[in-house]
Amino acid sequence: MSEVVAVEMAQVGGRRGETFVRLLRRPTGAIAALVVLLIVVGVLGAPVLAPHSPTEFDYERLFAPPSWAHPFGTDELGRDLLSRVLHGGRTSLWIAALATAISMVSGAVWGFVAAFRSGWVGEVMMRVVDVTLGMPIILIGLVLVAAFGSSILSLVLILGFLFAPATARLARSAILSELESDYYLAATSVGAPPWRIIFGELLPNTVPVLLARASIVAAAAIFVEASLSFLGLGVQPPAASWGTLLQTGYASLYSSYWYSVFPGIVIVVTVLALNTLGNSLQHALDPSRR
Amino acid sequence: MATYVLRRAVTSVGLLVLSSILIFVVLRLIPGDPTVLKLGGSGTDVDPRAFEALRHELGLDRSLPYQYLHWIDGVLHWDFGLSYFSQYPVTTLITDRAGATIQLTLVALLLGLLIAVPAATLGSIWRNRVFDSLLSGGTALGMATPSFVTGIVLIVIFGVKLDLLPTQGYVPFGEDPVESMKTVLLPAITLAIAIAAPIVLILRSSLTDVASAPYIRTAQGKGLLRRRIVLRHLLPNATIPTLTMVGVIVGDLLGGAVIVEYVFARPGLGSLMVDAVYQRDYEVLQALVLLAAAAFIVTSFVVDLLYGVLDPRLRIRGQEA
Repeated sequence: MSEVVAVEMAQVGGRRGETFVRLLRRPTGAIAALVVLLIVVGVLGAPVLAPHSPTEFDYERLFAPPSWAHPFGTDELGRDLLSRVLHGGRTSLWIAALATAISMVSGAVWGFVAAFRSGWVGEVMMRVVDVTLGMPIILIGLVLVAAFGSSILSLVLILGFLFAPATARLARSAILSELESDYYLAATSVGAPPWRIIFGELLPNTVPVLLARASIVAAAAIFVEASLSFLGLGVQPPAASWGTLLQTGYASLYSSYWYSVFPGIVIVVTVLALNTLGNSLQHALDPSRR
Repeated sequence: MATYVLRRAVTSVGLLVLSSILIFVVLRLIPGDPTVLKLGGSGTDVDPRAFEALRHELGLDRSLPYQYLHWIDGVLHWDFGLSYFSQYPVTTLITDRAGATIQLTLVALLLGLLIAVPAATLGSIWRNRVFDSLLSGGTALGMATPSFVTGIVLIVIFGVKLDLLPTQGYVPFGEDPVESMKTVLLPAITLAIAIAAPIVLILRSSLTDVASAPYIRTAQGKGLLRRRIVLRHLLPNATIPTLTMVGVIVGDLLGGAVIVEYVFARPGLGSLMVDAVYQRDYEVLQALVLLAAAAFIVTSFVVDLLYGVLDPRLRIRGQEA
């Protein structure tokens, strides 16, 4: 018994290792991973890496256009915009990371339960998913913000909830395909206990699929948080995120375009990199493309 | 076919009732009371008698099921109640603002299709690397760019630098057709870019599937002109699976309109919704969300019927059942 499991685990480990090697072999996947890494390092290391303090006023240089000293220009109080973008990124990335975690865990549990309860319970659970998937995300987001406010905590919960249904659908189909595999049959025939099959066999094998999904959810969470903050309904001052920077910059769009354009570019690059990373992971996982 | 239509109609109505209950309940889960906000207090310094009077006037002292039925009864008579905030009838607010949104979404849909269909078709005909990576790069970029970023970039280029097009407001088409179209152009392009990317993605994979179908090979073997193969065989067959996306596209249009109208200061339903969220004006909010849900459910219903008409295989199967 333990031998069988050991062999299985070794194979599984090998499969997962291969996936990441394949991911890094594709140039787009490798570049996307590098860009994501750079952004995360830049944002988390903002206190050390930012050229100026994000709160340092400079009344001689209000709304200064981009220059070597201030690559992204300065804002209405002469603060360095690059530094503000790096610091504001912490709010954006933290919200996205927590929302992704919530959506992955709740969605995976939801999908797994629906997969194992294949009767009417599972059917009802998936119908609920279908209904929520139908509505445009930004509209549900707006209603939930109206109902629960836009503190950082409620934003995290709202975004986590918004992306859970699609995760649930993916998790369910991932588990269902694993249930047809030989190793599952082997594990059940040697009489391995259910918890062991679930945590030792099924879960590790669906992790790569879910990781690919997590990358895409994180991108979507950054996208929606920025949208809500841009409408003034997301992150509230004095906290700053990329979306709020864009919103305040938008007010002075006609005189100083850089104020909103640079945070916008940063949002686009981050979302693009995370989406590409997720897609490359999916490709790397797809056996038909090996 | 008749039973199929009937069954789909019943599920659609059921979905509509379900979403109306959901919208109503979610908006009443809110901690606090909209009336407190309206009386301009933080909850402690409000005169309790004024508070009770207002609650009574708005019907908020009745039970939830009563309030719900009262609301639905009004909706069925095309009366969405009074705005908590401005005291105007919600129906008037919505009909006043609908024109700006309808014009925006229609023009954007048209432009989006004009971008997406040729791009996806050319992508499946010219199977060369350069165009292929341009197209997938373009769609990836389109999917990653929030419409407020596109909008801001377009405003900077065409409004600020070139000063070619108006960037704010709305002119009704009946008042001044030329000015009206000029004003809608930038917002519509912004929204079109947002919806084009997912359409290209779906249409392209559908075209690739159809291109390897036996009847396409037969058509090629018969020596038909390539133009004829693409226009008569490839595109029509590839469009059918894309139809299931129409519901999603409508959703994207409505959701996108919220952001785009805000960026371009267009007085439409989207900006009405943002204002309603700011002001916690639930009467307006629940009407708008119900209308959006209705638009979505009705489109999916129509698309399902169209599907049966357009795809002969489904029609036959429907008759057998």
